Amino acid sequence: MEAAVSNGRLEVSCGNKIPKSTPCPRPVPGEASGGCSFDGAQITLIPIADAAHLVHGPIACLGNSWESRGSLSSGPELSAYGFTTDLGEQDIIFGGEQKLHESIRYIVSRFAPPAVFVYTTCVTALTGEDIEGVCKAESERLGTPIIPVNSPGFVGSKNLGTRLAGDVLFQQVIGTTEPEQTTSHDVNLIGEYNIAGEMWHIERLMQQTGMSILSRITGDGRFREVGWAHRAKVNMVVCSRALLGLAVQMERKYSIPYFEGSFYGARETSYSLRQMAYLTGDRDVERRVDKLAAREEMRLSLELEPYRKQLKGKRAVLYTGGVKSWSVITALQELGIKVVGVGTNKSTAEDVSRIAARIGDDAEYIPEGGARQILKTVRSRKADMVIAGGRNMYMALKEQVPFVDINQERHKAYAGYDGLLSLAKQLVHTLQHPVWGLAAKLAPWEEETEFAD
Amino acid sequence: MPIKSATKPVSVNPLKVGQPLGGVLALQGMYRSMPLLHGAQGCSAFSKALLTRHFREPIAVQTSALQEMDVIFDADRNLEEALDHIWSKHHPDVIGVISTALTEVAGVDFQSRVKAFKRERALKDSLLFSVSLPDFHGSLETGYSSTVESLMDAVLGLARGKSPKKRRRTQVNLLPASYLTAGDVMEIKDIIASFGLEVISLPDISTSLSGHLLTGFSPLTRGGTPLDSACQMLESSCTIAIGASMERPARRLTHAAGIPYHLFDGLSGLAASDAFIHFLQKISREPAPVRFRWQRENLLDSMLDAHFYYSGASAVVALEPDHMLSTAAWLEEMGVELKRLITPCSTPALLKTEREVWIGDLDDAEESAQGVDLWISNSHGRKGAARAGASFIPAGLPVYDELGAHTSVSVGYRGTMEWVNKVGNVLLAERGKGG
Ligand code: SF4
Repeated sequence: MEAAVSNGRLEVSCGNKIPKSTPCPRPVPGEASGGCSFDGAQITLIPIADAAHLVHGPIACLGNSWESRGSLSSGPELSAYGFTTDLGEQDIIFGGEQKLHESIRYIVSRFAPPAVFVYTTCVTALTGEDIEGVCKAESERLGTPIIPVNSPGFVGSKNLGTRLAGDVLFQQVIGTTEPEQTTSHDVNLIGEYNIAGEMWHIERLMQQTGMSILSRITGDGRFREVGWAHRAKVNMVVCSRALLGLAVQMERKYSIPYFEGSFYGARETSYSLRQMAYLTGDRDVERRVDKLAAREEMRLSLELEPYRKQLKGKRAVLYTGGVKSWSVITALQELGIKVVGVGTNKSTAEDVSRIAARIGDDAEYIPEGGARQILKTVRSRKADMVIAGGRNMYMALKEQVPFVDINQERHKAYAGYDGLLSLAKQLVHTLQHPVWGLAAKLAPWEEETEFAD
Repeated sequence: MPIKSATKPVSVNPLKVGQPLGGVLALQGMYRSMPLLHGAQGCSAFSKALLTRHFREPIAVQTSALQEMDVIFDADRNLEEALDHIWSKHHPDVIGVISTALTEVAGVDFQSRVKAFKRERALKDSLLFSVSLPDFHGSLETGYSSTVESLMDAVLGLARGKSPKKRRRTQVNLLPASYLTAGDVMEIKDIIASFGLEVISLPDISTSLSGHLLTGFSPLTRGGTPLDSACQMLESSCTIAIGASMERPARRLTHAAGIPYHLFDGLSGLAASDAFIHFLQKISREPAPVRFRWQRENLLDSMLDAHFYYSGASAVVALEPDHMLSTAAWLEEMGVELKRLITPCSTPALLKTEREVWIGDLDDAEESAQGVDLWISNSHGRKGAARAGASFIPAGLPVYDELGAHTSVSVGYRGTMEWVNKVGNVLLAERGKGG
């Protein structure tokens, strides 16, 4: 298992807290894929459900991207609103600051959010608008925190944007509020986005052992709640390298120990719960986690039995965009699936070594190239299925390769013990679907013409 | 003709998308093509993701991947590198270089760079063209039609110099608007062909985004109008443009090659379908095939069956300009009260319509949707419709929460009937609830 307790030191990587002198690799023009930093910042902050998120720029940045993630909220829906200054040509020539002022005032007076996040985009960064100045002035005037997020698309990759958003939270949000009460078992989850409600499932498990989530950073988050994250006893970074920097900074400033973990697979889930319990320093909680883990793992192994039989020896190519690879690999291995190819395009060196620790040299590493490379690996390694994000779904279907969606847009929760069961069911249902048989056959009339030739 | 717009400073729940998205969409309908967005990489990633979600198909698109320093010092270098890369690796038949807000604001002269690249490489049989599509103007529809116009120019340039051939009486060009689905384009081609006419569509998403299982992955488009067919458009006897936004590209052909064009604002509704069939009968000098008689009867009968549920119903329609006008036309035939018509940007066609049109966003739709029966917009409207208590009908782009939206048919007698029934069923279900 991974370095459990923080060591306070940082590896150099794009998503990480990097020294300024080490730039991220430049994307190749004509062969680049993946989102921009603005995208990464949005992904990280939009799950703060009660805040308003205002995109300052021309329409494309928000117009083409809103409502594309599966983060769920248990209450407020304001962050699902798309707000943009939608700059026109005149605004760009004469400057959009006035419009930004007015937009912020309009949003605050109409929706009364606890905070407004204001996102810079390529155009407003290029024209050098004083977004921080506007936000500061409006914060003072309105008495509502207006928080500038300086992560325009052209500064780099999605991961960099996630990291920049983490900095925004650290510098401008965390430490600004106080919780009504705290316990000695308060945990922050960092980088868990509550896709398809996964966090709720984790939360139930934690509650059963006496632990609770103090701040959700940021899936199903609330602005005030993120503000009191500095009072937690433990930080868990949930498979998100890019937000590791946030945990490190919090450890330095608030002495909150952190660890990295995942909830994909029973083993990782038990490990993460144990780690949390260990760091709270309460033996009672640890004992409860042990009991829960034993009980759940036992129950799960019984329920998984029929699915395991059908999945045993099946071969999969996994392409998750890097960050989650290692944890999903563990989950698949628990189901008896052999991972024969794995994407490492966005993985850090550390991720790759974690992947290697799990699958060794048996699998092909797909560093770059997207769809074409994935398919090549499927063929050469005789894979039965592709497990990847929606971006690559349709190319797999065209080639009649069974596909399971593992990324942000999906509608099924795979985290925790029950999540592993859902994943097993999904895999079996996908692999055994009658459509593969039907698709593999020619139409009868086509077969006959072949004979006639 | 009265055009109104909201006075709020901020766009809330936008209906608008960036123009480059329209450009990317248009190029999906060209065979072996690659749209290249000249900008930072997020713009292409978002376009790809959005179109993939809507069409449930792989989408071809690339980016010059500008980063901060590139914009400040030398955006051309990235463009050239991207072109080089795409050309040497994939040998596409068509590359369309599409600018973004970023490159427009930075003021880079990418169009001369593209021309120079063409000259230097002496590209003969493939098409390289550029189009200026800043995000701070227009929306999907304008981006799409500008791209078709530039594409048309480029095709004319390519075809010029080749020996002028004779006009072919039975060959017609089709310029389908951005809102027409893959199913619509297929249906229109089919209707035209049934009059014994050959049709060349530019672009043609019916063969690229309607779903097929060609194997052998390619990052380029698979299907769409082949370049040599596009060149043959010069020999057609006329051009049929569907949607007012397609008038400009149609005019290009008239100016360059003297090919007359006929514009249809839309093909949904009885009157619009009648006009189209009548027109085809005239230009083909063939009687309308008997199946259209049947289809017309079927449609009229459906309209009669459905009119009980439509009468007294009201609707808010929020769609791109041409789509909104064509939808309003058939809803009016069904006696629906159009409570508010909303569209993201102004176009010349809107100045001509008698209807009151609102330039705005989905929040403006929500404001007027209280007590309204129907809400027709892209999938982003679903939540607002629920809040307002209106029945939601997804249409336009993106539609990501309904299967088959991109292949459903809304044109001609058959397509109109499909929609009359589809929307009628929603009204009927509402009535069943006693609401
Ligand atoms: S790359 Fe820049 S302009 Fe494009 S979506 Fe990202 S922030 Fe917006």
